[in-house]
Amino acid sequence: MNVELSQEQEAFRNTTRRFLEARVPLLVVRQLYESHDGFERSWWREAAELGWTSLFGPEVGGGGISPIPTRDAVIVAEEMGRMVAPGPFLPVSVVAAALLWEGTATQRADLLPALASGDSIASWALAEPGDVWDPASFMTRAVLDGDIMVLTGTKAYVEAATTSDHFLVTARTDDGLTQALVAANADGVTVTPGRSIDMTRRFGLVTFDGTRVPTSAVLGTVAGAGPAVERQVQLAIALQCAELVGVAQRTLEFTLEYGSSRHAFGRPIVSFQALKHRIADMTVWLEGSKAVTDALAQAIDDEDPESLHLARIAKAYVGEHCPDVVDDCVQITGGIGVTWEHDIHLYNRRATLDRALYGTPEDHKEQVITWLRG
Amino acid sequence: MVAGLSDEMTMESVEAFRTRTRAWMASALPSVEDPPLDSHALQRLLFDNRFAGIAFPREYGGAGLTLEHQKAFFDCAADLLRQVPAGYDHLVSVGMLGPTILEHGSHEAKLRFLPALLRGDDVWIQLLSEPRGGSDMAGATTRLTRDGHVYVLNGAKMWSTGAHVADYGLCLCRSDWDVPKHRGLSTVAVPLRGTPGLTIERIRAASGEAGDFCQEFFDDVVLPTENLIGEEGTGWAVAQTLLLHERNAAGSIGYGHLGPRLSGEDPTASDGLLGPSALLAALRHRRTNGAVATKLANAYIESVVGALTSARIMAGLRVGTHRGGWGSVSKLQASVAKHECIRTSLAALGAEGVIWDGADVRLDNAGTVWLGSRGGTLAGGSNEMQRNIVSERLLGLPREPSLDRDVPFNQVLRGLPAFE
Ligand SMILES: Cc1cc2nc3c(=O)[nH]c(=O)nc-3n(C[C@H](O)[C@H](O)[C@H](O)COP(=O)(O)OP(=O)(O)OC[C@H]3O[C@@H](n4cnc5c(N)ncnc54)[C@H](O)[C@@H]3O)c2cc1C
Repeated sequence: MNVELSQEQEAFRNTTRRFLEARVPLLVVRQLYESHDGFERSWWREAAELGWTSLFGPEVGGGGISPIPTRDAVIVAEEMGRMVAPGPFLPVSVVAAALLWEGTATQRADLLPALASGDSIASWALAEPGDVWDPASFMTRAVLDGDIMVLTGTKAYVEAATTSDHFLVTARTDDGLTQALVAANADGVTVTPGRSIDMTRRFGLVTFDGTRVPTSAVLGTVAGAGPAVERQVQLAIALQCAELVGVAQRTLEFTLEYGSSRHAFGRPIVSFQALKHRIADMTVWLEGSKAVTDALAQAIDDEDPESLHLARIAKAYVGEHCPDVVDDCVQITGGIGVTWEHDIHLYNRRATLDRALYGTPEDHKEQVITWLRG
Repeated sequence: MVAGLSDEMTMESVEAFRTRTRAWMASALPSVEDPPLDSHALQRLLFDNRFAGIAFPREYGGAGLTLEHQKAFFDCAADLLRQVPAGYDHLVSVGMLGPTILEHGSHEAKLRFLPALLRGDDVWIQLLSEPRGGSDMAGATTRLTRDGHVYVLNGAKMWSTGAHVADYGLCLCRSDWDVPKHRGLSTVAVPLRGTPGLTIERIRAASGEAGDFCQEFFDDVVLPTENLIGEEGTGWAVAQTLLLHERNAAGSIGYGHLGPRLSGEDPTASDGLLGPSALLAALRHRRTNGAVATKLANAYIESVVGALTSARIMAGLRVGTHRGGWGSVSKLQASVAKHECIRTSLAALGAEGVIWDGADVRLDNAGTVWLGSRGGTLAGGSNEMQRNIVSERLLGLPREPSLDRDVPFNQVLRGLPAFE
């Protein structure tokens, strides 16, 4: 996506692409549709060996931390989009980044190596039932009881909920947000599996029923997690936008291949101007999507305060236009495009899912309006 | 060694250039808060200090550096809030015609034309479109005939922006009618001031005002043969180069990067009544309903993404991930976005955009601007032509079928002029 990848990044992208093509081709993605978890742990460990899970740490022993982890991570996300790949890359990356940014040395040492090796999986329990993504409206509470933090409430749309070993929970205390790391098998944690329209991404409800964790499990300070949550959201949006770019780019590629060999009225269908012009518009949207995603990733790595606005702009733009590319490619593909047999629905599924998570483009546009109103 | 001297061995680094530029600008270039200098005077100031034609060879009046240096210069100016030559005619002359002459002119033509162009003494414009059509530019019917030691030009051009204030026009004309259309074209430099046989008329714009565009009639205009740019019969290649620079300029790319593309609340935003910053003001100071606010947010988002897109394409062209006609992508994006911005202003301002106090005609209202707003989606190649280019040349989709490609031009069916 970035036009100026370093040689290491170029190599990283190539190994990522080759790995995905070899290990989870679309045929495998289709098989995983039937599976409970949507991916296999052994496969995830192999992916971890490529470095996917160590971009945000640990600093020692784990291959070294990247100076530009977000810009490296969007490379993986984009490739995953191209292959509508399985695997909890986004939630594991966000939790690892949160540990890197906010964690104590002990917290990092406890979890980062296991995340990096792929032995452990962690997910972010952020949103709440009813499509609630705005922390100001969260109902889940974190209440201090001596040196114990008590968590009560229900988190929804938690990715890889049934396969996660740990949850990073974002909850409310009286005067702010608090985040805590909770083991999935802790007392008072219930995971209810759910499914999504995606072939392989599974989600679940996670309920905390007076779950008690030591304050050493609190990430950052009690009631002081607001800025960290914001930064994690920005990272999630950057990864999601990169994935959307990969999804839309690949869909356009195979649609053009198909449309060049399919004929009507003695001509390839992509020679019709009505289609060519829409394809040109899609090219404009894709270029804009790449540009803004890239700018966001860079702003996050640079700790540029602009990332706050860029994240909303990116989701509003990419979250709208990339799914539109896929949707119009269905139209260009014709009737076969709405069958199970044709792969385009795999891409439409992922695009439609990503559009909705971490706030719709409409939600983000609303935030743009709010800050523009000043 | 003279600062900025370029000879391949000793090219000044972009960073060193940037440092030198900033120092010079701080002391020598007026700030945007100072009384404005016209672009002529500003260009002269740049030229005298070897900051004009930064990516042009020194023997033709340039600074002998690269497009990266040029970008650095104009980015510094924006950063330091300095005045730089602005205006469409300047962009056309320095950003489009200059590099075209540089690429296609003979050594003598470059020596003759470029220093005066870069100094701002001669302003150049493009004479491409004709009354019979602009999109099908290769169908030009303005006639160039050789008569002994001179050329004679007959016919008409139309929509030529700035012809009434310019010194030279680069004219696309037909020199051979017996070969297929693309092969019978030539380009020639036409002096526009006091040239016998040449009539220039401003076209009245939809606003009611005299437009910036003109119509020209050539009636046995005699031109020296040295005014030919390129060879006889290579006019299409020259025009293609010119159009490439025009699209780049529309997206502030390459030679056309004479200032950064504006986005959002840029402090130097001179994007007029209806640019993104004015839309922001509307959002802040007026009661706007949700539907209008959404349109305003869309316009704002497009402006940010558009600027990032141009920067990305420019970087891509430099490192080679992007090749060729990517300027069409940013031209298309920018044209669509600008038109949408103006349309949005109608939504934001309502009656205030179309009715005003006082009996005099006012041009700075949203409605009047709207009347001419399609100019931007036509000029420089219509949106439809850009979409053809993107799909055919960038993505390799099949070309539009055409009935005139391989036919001698004098047998091709031709339509009516837009108006007499
Ligand atoms: C403000 C302004 C400034 C201009 N400045 C200059 C200038 O400085 N120099 C200059 O030479 N010209 C200039 N032009 C002319 C401009 O380049 C032409 O207007 C433009 O190329 C379109 O040509 P036309 O107006 O003859 O429309 P036509 O070519 O007649 O086109 C009419 C419509 O048909 C569509 N169309 C044509 N061919 C196709 C196709 N193959 N596929 C799909 N749709 C097609 C067009 O998109 C357009 O919508 C200017 C125009 C404007 C409005």
